[in-house]
Amino acid sequence: MKRLISLISCILFLALSGCVQPSIIDDILMAEAEGLDYLGDNKVLGTITVPNYVTGGVSGSGGGGLPATAAMMSSASAITYDGKSLVEKLQVKGQKAIRVGKLRVMLLNKAYLQHGIRKLIEFRNQDPDVGRDLYLIMVDGSTKELLEGTYQTQIPISRYIYDLIFHNQEKNFPLSNMKIFMYKYYGAHMNAYMPIIKKQGKHIVLTGYALIENNRYAGTVMGDNANFIFKSLLETVNLGYYDYEYKPGQHFVLEDIQSTISYKVKNGNGAEPKITAQVKMSGNVRQGNPEIKTKNYYTKMKKKLQNHLENRMENMVAAFQKKGVDPIGLGDIARSYTRHFNDSSWEDHYPNAQFRAHVSIDINETGSSEMHDSSS
Amino acid sequence: MTSPKINETQQVSPKNTMFIIGMMQIGVGLLSFQRIAALNSAQDAWFPVLLTGASTLIIMGVIFRLLENEKPYGTQELFSMHKRFFGTIVGNALNVVAIAYQFMVGLVFLRAYIEIINVWIFPKLSPLAFSFIFSVIIWYLVMGGFRAITGIFYLSFIYILPLNLVDFYLIGDSHLSNLLPMLEHMPYDYLQSFFKMIPCYLGFETILFYYPFLKRPKEAKQWAMFGLTLTTSVYVTLCILGTVYFSHGELMTQVWPIISFWKSIHFPLFDRFEYLGMILWIWALIPSFALGTWVVSRGIREITGYIKQKYALIFVFLLNILFCTIIHNRLQINLILHYLSYVGFGFLYIYIPFLFFWQWILKKKRRRKHV
Repeated sequence: MKRLISLISCILFLALSGCVQPSIIDDILMAEAEGLDYLGDNKVLGTITVPNYVTGGVSGSGGGGLPATAAMMSSASAITYDGKSLVEKLQVKGQKAIRVGKLRVMLLNKAYLQHGIRKLIEFRNQDPDVGRDLYLIMVDGSTKELLEGTYQTQIPISRYIYDLIFHNQEKNFPLSNMKIFMYKYYGAHMNAYMPIIKKQGKHIVLTGYALIENNRYAGTVMGDNANFIFKSLLETVNLGYYDYEYKPGQHFVLEDIQSTISYKVKNGNGAEPKITAQVKMSGNVRQGNPEIKTKNYYTKMKKKLQNHLENRMENMVAAFQKKGVDPIGLGDIARSYTRHFNDSSWEDHYPNAQFRAHVSIDINETGSSEMHDSSS
Repeated sequence: MTSPKINETQQVSPKNTMFIIGMMQIGVGLLSFQRIAALNSAQDAWFPVLLTGASTLIIMGVIFRLLENEKPYGTQELFSMHKRFFGTIVGNALNVVAIAYQFMVGLVFLRAYIEIINVWIFPKLSPLAFSFIFSVIIWYLVMGGFRAITGIFYLSFIYILPLNLVDFYLIGDSHLSNLLPMLEHMPYDYLQSFFKMIPCYLGFETILFYYPFLKRPKEAKQWAMFGLTLTTSVYVTLCILGTVYFSHGELMTQVWPIISFWKSIHFPLFDRFEYLGMILWIWALIPSFALGTWVVSRGIREITGYIKQKYALIFVFLLNILFCTIIHNRLQINLILHYLSYVGFGFLYIYIPFLFFWQWILKKKRRRKHV
């Protein structure tokens, strides 16, 4: 009797699968990239791309060059209002049901960021269908053009962008996927940031980071050198590089930089809070300069670079303070170091905060050749 | 009316108390408690969570004393205790309240789980179909007796453990400075968080019903304490993880922070971990629900004296399916949870000490009579 019941219950559980809507991979279109271009007057031009699983062409795949039963549609776009689920809107254009579960990148153009992203972010936070490791990206130019463009690579555009940003975030660019974005966006006394990409001929390039303050675009940090400074103020760097122009036209590069940061805050509730950042770096010099003697890297040049980095960090923070943005979250750091932190007065004190950076660099090695006194 | 002593073939080893108590306390509350704990005491949420855990140890001590003192008078469980303390009529009325409470706990757990499945995976899954099929499984389990239920507790303990280890993937994204400055809040804030955490820890009081089924019950005490300490440590670590992983503002927007945790984990071949996690979570539901219905059906037998447990069980399931279908949105679930937490608080922190006191008075009275 009991066996019978267990058998029946197992069969019944199988029957449960009949209760819900199936999602068979061959019968859906998986939107992997969404792009939003703001047109003005609360109207948005939305574009999605769907990877095209076509077998054949590749040797060994056995497809014989014929398209498989999978999706053939590769992109669609439509005009809608801000905050609308694009997938829902484009369902009427979908050859098959479009699903959003594997969304990898979300592109927004500059006008959209200037218009405000609140509706979008709230929607992303509310919608459980989408994972939290997607990238929110600003596009310099039109997202539709970028998504529908042709590039040197055959790989779907969504993964192209994803890989591009992923590997750069291991080097000079700060980490920024949706989970970090949400952390900064909803957190008090900190501002979010997102990468900026641009279509350049047959390539996509990562140019810098856009800062978001109060839902809106609030400036940028451009270039890999500036972003190295930005990243080392934000988090631990593992494989950074910094191109130092020590005098006009003369460079050397500090590579494989490992850097850690710690902050100290004094007088967090005062009118002029004192924030000190202690940055410890270690790196190698591989691309030196024939002008510099090897032993000087460890002494003179190191000192110079330290001072230079300290200056740049302080200037960067001063620029943030001037704009009133706080992507580093200095306010949150001050909160964690101050008992009974005064939340309301921080906004007034932030521009007056005194920021000091102390950089100490440890040069591990200088490559496989040496420059002696005599060789110059 | 006192039931005969439980046959040894029905009893379980005292070690199992740890698994039973541990898994009874881990329920859907675990998926959402981080926000609720942080509501009043922000970065110090771990402290009231720890306090609530410590208070459960005290209550557990009282429960054990209560049950041990009952030894000379008959079966050491709540149903017969009620009857001895307050007479058959009042005692049975209290028994009805007790099983109604246990019934509601099981029901809310099941319904909240269905809600999570509805929100995250299958919006179209009907509560009727799910609760029906689920009931068939639980029926099979409860018919196997207390030993089968204990076995399921042990299994689910093993299955759920790795799920908690997965959360440590997130340490890499943590901001430890979120925990600072420590212990900054007012005692009143902690008190509020303390009360809000109580529903999460509920479930260990079922030992009042299955105590006679434990072999060498004296030994069970330490295992029960281990179980409580284990769940407390799970809640405290998860609370700390929630604080360091989310910013306070973000945490306030999350209904199920743990599922958002899982949402951020991905493996090369497995993109969305939360789907696996939520499906595995049914293993937390099965044993608690089975023990809950076991208590309710046993209670019906004890109260009426003539309805067999297996018929009572069918009645309980029908009621369950009915309620699961009637409750159809989150507001109602939250409302029930809200009231249930009051009842649970009253039951554990007021009623059990009261019973203990009453037992003591009865003892005094009886001694005086003898003298």
